[in-house]
Amino acid sequence: MTNDANDDTQPVDIAKWSETAPRYSEIKRMISVFVGRPLPVIGLVIIVLLILVAIFAPLLAPDPPNQMEIINKLQQPSSEHWLGTDSLGRDTLSRIIFGSRTSLIIGISVTAISSIIGIVLGLLAAYFGGAIYHIIMRFMDALMAFPMLLLALLVASLLGAGMLNIIIALGIGMIAAPCRLMCGVVMSVKQNDYVLSARAMGMSNLRIMFQEILPNAFPPLLVLMTIGIGAVILAEAGLSFLGIGITPPTATWGGMVNDGYKFIMTNPVLAISPGVAIMLVVFGFNMLGDGLRDALDPKLRGVI
Amino acid sequence: MTQENSTNVVELLNLKMYFPITHGLLRRRVGEIKAVDDVSFSIKKNETLGLVGESGCGKTTTGRCILRLYKPTAGKIMFNSTDISGMNENQLRSVRSSMGAIFQDPYGSLNPRQTARTIIGMPLIIHGMKTKGYDNRVEELFKLVGLDPSMMTRVPHEFSGGQRQRLGIARALACQPELIICDEPVSALDVSIQAQIINLLEELQEKLGLTYLFIAHDLSVVQHISNRVAVMYLGRIIEIANSKELYQNPLHPYTKALLSAIPVPNPVIERKRTRTVLKGEVPSPADPPTGCHFNPRCNIATGDCKTERPQLKDVGNGHMAACFRV
Repeated sequence: MTNDANDDTQPVDIAKWSETAPRYSEIKRMISVFVGRPLPVIGLVIIVLLILVAIFAPLLAPDPPNQMEIINKLQQPSSEHWLGTDSLGRDTLSRIIFGSRTSLIIGISVTAISSIIGIVLGLLAAYFGGAIYHIIMRFMDALMAFPMLLLALLVASLLGAGMLNIIIALGIGMIAAPCRLMCGVVMSVKQNDYVLSARAMGMSNLRIMFQEILPNAFPPLLVLMTIGIGAVILAEAGLSFLGIGITPPTATWGGMVNDGYKFIMTNPVLAISPGVAIMLVVFGFNMLGDGLRDALDPKLRGVI
Repeated sequence: MTQENSTNVVELLNLKMYFPITHGLLRRRVGEIKAVDDVSFSIKKNETLGLVGESGCGKTTTGRCILRLYKPTAGKIMFNSTDISGMNENQLRSVRSSMGAIFQDPYGSLNPRQTARTIIGMPLIIHGMKTKGYDNRVEELFKLVGLDPSMMTRVPHEFSGGQRQRLGIARALACQPELIICDEPVSALDVSIQAQIINLLEELQEKLGLTYLFIAHDLSVVQHISNRVAVMYLGRIIEIANSKELYQNPLHPYTKALLSAIPVPNPVIERKRTRTVLKGEVPSPADPPTGCHFNPRCNIATGDCKTERPQLKDVGNGHMAACFRV
């Protein structure tokens, strides 16, 4: 210890005050809550698999996703084409594997964009209050009044289809939820005395917002973001199903359902298999979100 | 510390803090809460001024005005002879480093996601003192408040209530302030820990020559630590005197009632003594009574109490009371 630094301070009887409970890690508790129940773990496994599949798609897929064998079109599942082929003779399994990339890219980028914008706006609205609060939150109310698909339709028809435009369209549509959640959480977090204390020290507003408030307001946002990725994937599939999403021939699960449903009577695997993929992934993200919510909830400390 | 230095560290001159009550979408101003209504007092160097009163009487608001967490409606706050009441955030920077604040709730006043080291070092970081001696200074502060420096990497929930309040004190001391506003620093602690924290505060005052504004509602704690005590009622100071004098010879009827509410830990005396029990409740600070704020509950009030506001008058030895009947 550096005793030379504080000659004027008498040694205090430290041992007298220092008896505390043994160190106890919050993160360890969270992990034990998370892995203690089956569904979040299943969700996590699904998502890890999805990420691995998306990364290693070229290695896993038996055929290139856009390779057409017109002679072998609309085949039933076989040893050569495990999930059959579509109306243009493309291998369904390969397209599902490559479709995971589209879903994941859109899911993550849309959630990232909408969360960042939503968090910043929500933080500003709740921290400053007054007119800023009213302007931002009334704008969010207006945004929420539009059904998200309608909004995405509007943006897509203005900008045209395509990956980037879909990301912009869904990104705008998804801002309201994180913004409102953030606003509510910040309003309660900013009541804490440590915010007052930071102001009394002369900390700048920007620093108080991002250093003192944001870390304490973030856990519920993390849950919303996780579940949000699932919702975005579902919305993208819906847009692609309606034909205003990703432009063909890029493989997307929604587009595949659209292609396949015309043959639902003769070759149901075509439409059902991408549908199952969507369902599994959305389920995975929702379960992961639920698990995170329970793990991060301090009120459940000691309960589960 | 030397006692002959009697300069005022803080002096409040007719401080007023009114909060607007707004109504409806257009935020129409329909009234105001007079949280602090014309308060004047001063605190000398190395002195402890106790500020007591019941909930909602404006003691915390007064403290926060001095810390300039609020911009006062009117009046002056002289800090080392400079008026800080109208300063903007930039001008306040240097003032803020010479004031410290200790808050009531040791759980709410520490950021749960920062380590003890960061919490205590934060004032130094903010005021650009994260230089060579930073680590030593943080460790020194830990020892100063009686905490083991090996606990620096812990987060607040790993400390007990008393230890957290020590962290709060260490943080308030980081920039070597002259004045510390203690806003009910022991109210949230249990009695044995209260004594430890009070002793620590006294020890630090002697060692570092600090000046305290000690806000509390526990009269016995205030009596113990304060040199002078000011009693507040509905935004006004109604009596201010040396701690000993105030407790032995209270003049204002409210102070008398307040002091008679302290239980005597002897059943024989307790049964015999007559208590002054106040009638009614504290009126709303949005619509205070005219004249003396205390007149509706006072047992010696007469006609002029309802019409005129009694000013603080000196009755000798610096004992001041705001009552016509003294």
